[in-house]
Amino acid sequence: MILIFGGAYQGKLEYAQKNYDVETVCDCSNGETPDFTKDIIYGLDGFVLECARQGREAADFFRDSREKWQDKVLISTDVSQGIVPVDAVMRAFREMNGRLMLYLAEEAEQVVRVFCGIGRREK
Amino acid sequence: MNILISGGCKNGKSFFAQRKAKEMAESSGRPLYYIATMIPHDDEDHARIKRHISERAGWGFTTIEQGKNLADILDMPQIDKSGVFLMDSVTALLGNEMFDDEGNYVETAAEHVRESVLKFARETGSTVFVSDYIYGDADRYDELTECYRKSLACVDRALAAECDEVYEITYGMQERWK
Repeated sequence: MILIFGGAYQGKLEYAQKNYDVETVCDCSNGETPDFTKDIIYGLDGFVLECARQGREAADFFRDSREKWQDKVLISTDVSQGIVPVDAVMRAFREMNGRLMLYLAEEAEQVVRVFCGIGRREK
Repeated sequence: MNILISGGCKNGKSFFAQRKAKEMAESSGRPLYYIATMIPHDDEDHARIKRHISERAGWGFTTIEQGKNLADILDMPQIDKSGVFLMDSVTALLGNEMFDDEGNYVETAAEHVRESVLKFARETGSTVFVSDYIYGDADRYDELTECYRKSLACVDRALAAECDEVYEITYGMQERWK
């Protein structure tokens, strides 16, 4: 699995499409559950936000479906560097996202951070 | 050589940018310009400008005040286009252009800013651009703020592709991305 992360609007999806042999995209930005029949799972943070709203742990979903995403490119927005949100659900989301990213980065063969459209291998 | 510098607030971007610009001017023997982008609106702004001016004192910069329409500088007869320019910041330029004097949102601003910074980089060939990394928040903002973040990212990415060097500054430490 390849994990790509970076701040909002940094060109993460474009970077994946340009640099890896991938075609189909599952966009989870609006809370959709990842569809592992697609090559790229994009907007993981959207799925995590939905999990936070429902009170279930996003990392558990990934642990339970571990064999399904071994050959995928997973893309998530790094939301860990800004202001602590006022809203309790958004705070829970921010922390849940961190826990998921820790797990995925550990599992990943490659981790890439994208900054201003430029990618760098972190692992 | 064009350079883009980004990073968080109060991390030392401007100081690093000043050093880079000064080095470029010294090694080429060309004039050194500082493009001041802030249009002051209140006492806090005036105090910030005063602090920035004192931080630049003795560095040898000639200040050009240009809060909008960056490329207009290229047509100023008193400006040597082969000089070294420090443009601080892209963030302020976009903010100034995105809202008109009445505070109305200008839809074409992002594209205009992107085109003018690219033109400026190409025609001067030695500009240091400073921008701000505002992309790490968990909260989702109102439509206008999101539009501003998205627009600045779009300008940053175009500049990153055009510039020869790209740096991220964190607490005074630099990470070179390009």
